[in-house]
Amino acid sequence: MKTLFAWLLWLWISLCIVGAFLYAPLAEGFIGQSSRILFFHVPMAWVSLVAFLTAGVWSALYLFGGRGEDHDRAAYTAVQLGLLFCVLATVTGALWARIMWGAYWNWDPRQTSITMALLFYAAYVVLRGAIDDPETRGRIAAVYSLLGLVVAPFLFFVVPRIASFTLHPDAVVNTRGKIEVEARMLQVLIASSLGFTALFFWMHRLHWRLERLAARTGEGRS
Amino acid sequence: MRPASTWISEATAVLVKEWRTELRVRYALHTVLLFSVSTLVTVSIALGPLGVASSERQSVLPVLLWIILLFAAFAGLPRAFVHEEETHTATALRLAATPSAVFVGKLFYSLGLLAALELLVVPLFLAMVQLPVTAMGYFLAGLAGGGVGLAATSTLIAAMVAQAEGKGALFPVLAFPMVIPLLVLAIEVARAAVGGDPPGVALGQLLLYDASVVVAGLMLFPFVWNP
Repeated sequence: MKTLFAWLLWLWISLCIVGAFLYAPLAEGFIGQSSRILFFHVPMAWVSLVAFLTAGVWSALYLFGGRGEDHDRAAYTAVQLGLLFCVLATVTGALWARIMWGAYWNWDPRQTSITMALLFYAAYVVLRGAIDDPETRGRIAAVYSLLGLVVAPFLFFVVPRIASFTLHPDAVVNTRGKIEVEARMLQVLIASSLGFTALFFWMHRLHWRLERLAARTGEGRS
Repeated sequence: MRPASTWISEATAVLVKEWRTELRVRYALHTVLLFSVSTLVTVSIALGPLGVASSERQSVLPVLLWIILLFAAFAGLPRAFVHEEETHTATALRLAATPSAVFVGKLFYSLGLLAALELLVVPLFLAMVQLPVTAMGYFLAGLAGGGVGLAATSTLIAAMVAQAEGKGALFPVLAFPMVIPLLVLAIEVARAAVGGDPPGVALGQLLLYDASVVVAGLMLFPFVWNP
C-alpha cells in the first residue's frame, strides 16, 4: 500500500514536470521560458506554509493533548521539512528574480516575509538544540512554534504592505479576486501543488518514523 | 479559579517584588540606561558634527532611534527570569502566584524599565541628532505602543530562555524574528510623526500586534512557567 502510494506520487510529480514544460503555455510578459518556474516555485512556497501550519497543529496537540513525545517529534519534523521547502522557494524565487528583475535580491515584500519565516524557524531549531531535557525541550519549542503562528499574519500581511509596491506577480490570486491564468497553466499549477503537498506529507511520515525509531534505539536526539 | 482581587494582588505583589529587588542592586536599570547612552553617543559621533542631511532625517533617524531602544532593551530585559532560576527563587514564586499573575507582574516591571529607558534616550536623541517632531502625540503613541510590544515579547522569550539553563545568547536569536514586525510598524509611525502626517493604519496595526502578543503570552506563559 505504502509502496503503491510512493509510486503513484512519483508518477504524478513526473507528469507535473512534463506538463510544466510541454503542456502548459508560456505566460505573457515574461522573459524567455522563465514563467515555467511558477509550477515549482509556487508549490514550494505553499508547502512551506503547510509545513509550518502542520508544526503548529502538532505543537498545540503536544501542549494541550497530554505531552506525547510523538507529537513533539511530528512538530519538529514538520519544521525541518518546512525549512527545506522554504529555502527551495527562496532560491527558485531569487533565480527567477535575477532573470526578470535583474537582481537576485531586492527586498521585494514576498522576499522579506520569507526571510522572516526562515529566521523564525531557524531560531526554533537553535532553541531545540539548546535544551537537553526532552520534556522541557518539547514544551518550550511548542510554545515558540505557536508564537510563530501569532506573529505570522504580521509577517505576511503587514510587512509587505509597508513596501507599498511589489513587482511580484500576483496573477493567481490577485487583488481583484479573479483568477487570470490560462486554463492549462492553472491545471498544471494545481496538480503540482497537490503533488508537492502529498510529497510533503509522505516525507513527513517517513522522517517522523525514522525519528521514532532513532529515539527507540537511543540514537536520536529529536 | 481564584477570585479576581486575589489575582490582581498577586500580580501587584510580583511587580512590587521585582522593583524592590531591582532597586536594591539596580543592575538591569543601570545596564539598560548606560547601554542606551553609550549606543546613542556612538551613533551621534559616527554621524559627525553635521549629522544626517536634513532631507534624509525623516527616513534615517527613526530607524536609528528604534535600533538604540531595541539593543538597550535586549541588554537588560532578559534578566527578568534568568535571575529567578539563578537564585533558585523560581520555585517559591511558582507556589506563591498563578502563572498569569507572574506574567503580568513581570510584564509591568519590564514596561517600567522601558519607560525609564525611553524617558532618558528619546529626548537626548532628539536633541543630539536634531530631529524636530511635528506630530508629537503620534510620536509618543508610537513609542508607547512599541514599548508595550517589546516588553510583552521579551517577558515571554526571557521566560523561555531561563528554562534553557542560562544559555543567554539564545535571547536575541529567539526575539529578533518576533520583534521585526513590531519594529517596522513603530518606525513607520515615528517617520509619519516626524513628517507631521497621521500614521494611517500603522498605529492601529502596532496596537493589534501588542494585543496579540499580550493575549498569546497570557495563554502560553503557563506552559513555559510550569514544568
